[in-house]
Amino acid sequence: MNMSIKRLMAIFNKDYKDLSRNLYVSFTVVVPLFLAAFMGRQGNIALEQQYMVYNLTLCLVTAYIQCALIAEEKEKNTLRNLMLSPASTMEILAGKGLLSFATTLLVLGLSAFFLDYMPKDLIVVTAAMVLSAIFYIGLGTALGLMTKSAMEASVIIMPFVFVFSFGTSLSFFADKYPFLHAADYLPNAQLLLLAKEVELGAGFADVWSNLGIIAIWVVVMTAITVAIYRKRMVD
Amino acid sequence: MYKDGQQISVVISINNLYNKHIMPRLGDDSMEILKITDLEKHNKDTVLFSAFQLTISANEIVSVHSSMNVRSALLKILMGELPASSGSIYINEKDINESKRSYLKNISVLFLDDGLYERLTVKDHLSFYQAIFSSNFPIEEVARLVQLEDKSKVRVGKLTFSEQRRLHLSRIFFQNAELIIFEEPDQNVDLETKRVFIKAARELKARGKAILVLTGNMESALAVTDTVYRLDDKGLHPIEIQSEENEEEMQEGEPEEIIIQPARFEKIPTKVNDKIVLFDPPEIDYIESSDGQSHLNIKGESYPCMFTMTELESRLIPYGFFRCHRSYIVNLQKVREVITWTRNSFTLVLNDESKSSIPLSKSKMAELKEMLGLK
Repeated sequence: MNMSIKRLMAIFNKDYKDLSRNLYVSFTVVVPLFLAAFMGRQGNIALEQQYMVYNLTLCLVTAYIQCALIAEEKEKNTLRNLMLSPASTMEILAGKGLLSFATTLLVLGLSAFFLDYMPKDLIVVTAAMVLSAIFYIGLGTALGLMTKSAMEASVIIMPFVFVFSFGTSLSFFADKYPFLHAADYLPNAQLLLLAKEVELGAGFADVWSNLGIIAIWVVVMTAITVAIYRKRMVD
Repeated sequence: MYKDGQQISVVISINNLYNKHIMPRLGDDSMEILKITDLEKHNKDTVLFSAFQLTISANEIVSVHSSMNVRSALLKILMGELPASSGSIYINEKDINESKRSYLKNISVLFLDDGLYERLTVKDHLSFYQAIFSSNFPIEEVARLVQLEDKSKVRVGKLTFSEQRRLHLSRIFFQNAELIIFEEPDQNVDLETKRVFIKAARELKARGKAILVLTGNMESALAVTDTVYRLDDKGLHPIEIQSEENEEEMQEGEPEEIIIQPARFEKIPTKVNDKIVLFDPPEIDYIESSDGQSHLNIKGESYPCMFTMTELESRLIPYGFFRCHRSYIVNLQKVREVITWTRNSFTLVLNDESKSSIPLSKSKMAELKEMLGLK
């Protein structure tokens, strides 16, 4: 186990150094921060707008970084040697996931600071954010396994950015088009609903349904990722 | 004290392991690492290579000279990426079909298309390899072995191709597998890198590794080892290196009168499609023999010639040609450098456009020195 953690950390370190020198990827980290700082100057921002920034972060930072990290290993022909090393696939993906996760926490924290966001129940909101981050890491891994280059990764992520960050506002039109109620069950919408409940003074007991729906997304995403991995790694 | 005790117990357990498997004891050179039996590969209508056997023991280097298709197919089969038409491969007595992971654990491959992390420095790579392979090989020593000590803070994207190849090589030292496969180790690299490869191969051999060199270049096959095979659709054939006299004896029966001509006229005929093209001897860079056919190499192009190597040698000696190897005759006027890799491995570098390098066998080195007036 100790060896396994050592290898995981080696991958984390390597990817951290690589990422910090990769302008294309690290630029995406700046986008939500810039947006947060810009909106923060205006003061008194609605929760919906705030959560657009957080959902954008989860998609553009978490999923995209994870996806780009995997895709670039493939593009540069370095994944093969990594797979032939004693590190298991789990260790490789976890090392990368850890880096995406750490970056996400940092960006979310900074965005919240810029937006002056202080939830009434920090623990519940943090738990929901962490759970969402796991979902987006799964999404990034699945997309990373499907793409072949970093360029492809930045294209494939776009539809998901629209659905999972701007898509939160879809439910505004739900009165006109009833089928859009389905959008309420997206993980991003659930995160927002949960935050609204928390602001009304809800605790863990009141938001378990929102957390449950996000958890279902996590399970589904994990299953999809494992399926793609099995299919892709055969050849 | 405690450390000593630990070491002893490790040695004992290894010995027990060998007893269990009824294998030769430690230090026995004949320990088989790679064993290939009846391996063959067909692709649709063509036979890539027909059934062959090959075993490589610890402390042994074997080169396999083949075409590019054969090389990549063999490598893929060895890595379990492509199924063989028939036959089996064992590494350390482990069959690939039993457990791919424990089979692959014993191989490390220097792929021709290996990748690197362009944004990381040389040192980042070395410490990453060291950590990922849980190796205790000191980073400084590997950097010295691959001659990248002075580049340790340079980003890999800024290295030359040759330097990147040497960084690929560094991985092999950390990986510490029993079987090491070099795919075209010295293709397109500079002489320093070639020297590093040859030294590395010897170093790894001394550490008890089995080394397989896959290459399409006879000269690079010969530079590392004397055990060279040719693999093609007819199977695996050893390329003899020491039997230069035998061939000459065999050829002696032929009458030589035809060669002597009344007027001083000497052109070497070659066949190009249906035409016969004549070349002046000074034009020729070198002559290579493969599959019993001699080829003239002129300005990077190769032309098959109707004469045997022995006939060509006797015709061309007056023009300053020299039989530097069983399968090579070189135009000494074109030789720029004689490189000594080790005490008995040499290469001639020509001053033609592609800076061709040609093997020079040990026995011919003395002859050449004599011709050059060096003693």
